[in-house]
Amino acid sequence: MASVGDTRPALRFVSPTASRELALMAAIIVVSIIFASVSPYFLTVNNLVQTMRAGLELAIVSAGMTLVIIMGGIDVSVGGIVAVSAIVIGKAYQAGLPAYLVTPIGLLVGTALGSFNGLVTAKLKVPPIIATLGSMYIFSAIMFLVIGGAWISGLPGTLSPLVNGWLGFIPASALVIAAVYLLAWLLLRKLPFGNHIYAIGCDEQSARLVGINVDRTKVMNYALLGFLAGLAALLYVARLRNVEINIGTTIALEAIAATILGGTNIRGGVGSLLGTLLGVTFIRIMQNGLVLTGVSSLWETVIIGSLLIIVLTADALRNRNNPRAT
Amino acid sequence: MTSKSTGLSVTDPLRARLFMLLALWVVAIIVMALLSPYFWRASTIPYLLQYVPILGLLGLGQTLVILAGGPGIDLSVGSILSLVGVAVGALFSIGVDIWIASAIGIVLGAALGCLNGFLVNVLRIPSLMATLATMFAFGGFALAVTAGRPIGGFPASFSWLGQGHTFGLPNAFVFVLLPVALILHVMLTRTTVGRHIVACGNDDRAAHLSGLNVIRLRIGLYTLSGVLAALGSIISMSWFLAARPDAGRGMELLAVTIAVLGGTHIFGGTGGVPGTIVAILIVTTLQIGLQLANISAAWQLGLIGMLLIVSVSRLSTLRFGQGAKS
Repeated sequence: MASVGDTRPALRFVSPTASRELALMAAIIVVSIIFASVSPYFLTVNNLVQTMRAGLELAIVSAGMTLVIIMGGIDVSVGGIVAVSAIVIGKAYQAGLPAYLVTPIGLLVGTALGSFNGLVTAKLKVPPIIATLGSMYIFSAIMFLVIGGAWISGLPGTLSPLVNGWLGFIPASALVIAAVYLLAWLLLRKLPFGNHIYAIGCDEQSARLVGINVDRTKVMNYALLGFLAGLAALLYVARLRNVEINIGTTIALEAIAATILGGTNIRGGVGSLLGTLLGVTFIRIMQNGLVLTGVSSLWETVIIGSLLIIVLTADALRNRNNPRAT
Repeated sequence: MTSKSTGLSVTDPLRARLFMLLALWVVAIIVMALLSPYFWRASTIPYLLQYVPILGLLGLGQTLVILAGGPGIDLSVGSILSLVGVAVGALFSIGVDIWIASAIGIVLGAALGCLNGFLVNVLRIPSLMATLATMFAFGGFALAVTAGRPIGGFPASFSWLGQGHTFGLPNAFVFVLLPVALILHVMLTRTTVGRHIVACGNDDRAAHLSGLNVIRLRIGLYTLSGVLAALGSIISMSWFLAARPDAGRGMELLAVTIAVLGGTHIFGGTGGVPGTIVAILIVTTLQIGLQLANISAAWQLGLIGMLLIVSVSRLSTLRFGQGAKS
């Protein structure tokens, strides 16, 4: 169904990320077998659903991160967006606002902070790593000033069914993840917006020359990531019913790691949402399995880091003769 | 930086930058003095300089790595600092003399930095990803092997470096940071190696074609960054008389902030030691001043974030040619 306007026939027929997706799937299966043989509790429905619920925020944020990285950007401040949104949500609940008001407020805060990142990158021409580094400081400053070092606790769980509920035999959290990834996939693959993202990630200058509104696409993409971070914050509050001071500290780096593990090229232009979802699954299963098998959870960052090094090295060796990779 | 003529007086943007930073530092000192009556005491200066060396060494290493272009960045310096500390602590606890253990620690720092350089320059993994991965791996390893517990019990004589004073100034400042900064400054401005570094940062293709070994040079700078992080680790241990496995947490971002704030262009080619030093003084003055005035550290985070974004956005408007990439 390659229509005339389709700009990426090569991507359609030979997906550059397919081998990575297959490798990740194999890795997930192997790791699961190992964990299942060590701990009988690992392969229970209860454990897997719990793992998925705990990974909900990471999965949602990673979808947005994938789109941003495909565009050749990066956002290390996303943890700050989650934190600020969660605190605003918590304060709004404490002020007695009902859930149907708090939800749009939370999403709006996330979107606004994301747009701020987008505007700084696109309009002030600050490289995304520096811009989001700076906004990470600013967001954590806002967070500390608002929360004042104390937890917000005892929040209502009006949205809890989205995380903990079941629809028949399907856990609601799976539906939320599916909905988010479907939305992201539609944006990326079925709408001009997605084509623009790929184009900017491949070559920003050319994208500008063929008439793509690069700045607007950038702002919208960062805003989308912010929106998803706001959604993650809503679900975080719904799941835990409190806001801790260390919320969101690791989510940015984990989301970047999951995206890269999933085959998205850090230089932009190539990427896969399915890969990212598999990457998130892999990271979460590793974390869960290590805890169940009695290995200190402190090893998990070592494993993520080493895996990243291995994956990046393998990529580098495979793409040795590929001019785009250098 | 707000010079009215764009052609003439901005011939040396680095010098203009330095003056702006010095002015900023004076403003910071005045504001802090107004905020807290304790700030105008003679004891503030050694107190302030006590904080400077560790961050300063990391910032200087970062400056050189970024300066050589690529675009280069080293996010793993904080983790190298932690891991070297843990290694030295482990060596000491099996009976190695503390100074010999420190020397071995510096060699370890060089090896870890060299690994970064290898990943980035030989395998051509983007520096951001490679050092993010090693940041996970090194930092996680330091935490995991110690189970998060600090290693203490260093002899009191070891505190000479971190706690001792000469002429009223901290030893770490007089005997480590000052000589290192001077050597690096002379190297950058007065030797061929320094010119080669700047040449690599400006145009690595041209540098390569004119016979420079760009890869070897950049690996050398990553190694140097590792060595400086190891030195920082030794100062930190000598100060606290303990090796904390999370000693370097968050320092990598602060080091990048300092380097960029100091006028080093994020894509390389422009920058220098004096700017970085003044940037460290600004950041530390903010830190100490707010502490003395008993104002939440959050303001400091927010200020640094804003400084970072503003400083980079000003710089890239001055350098159209370079800012276009990414």
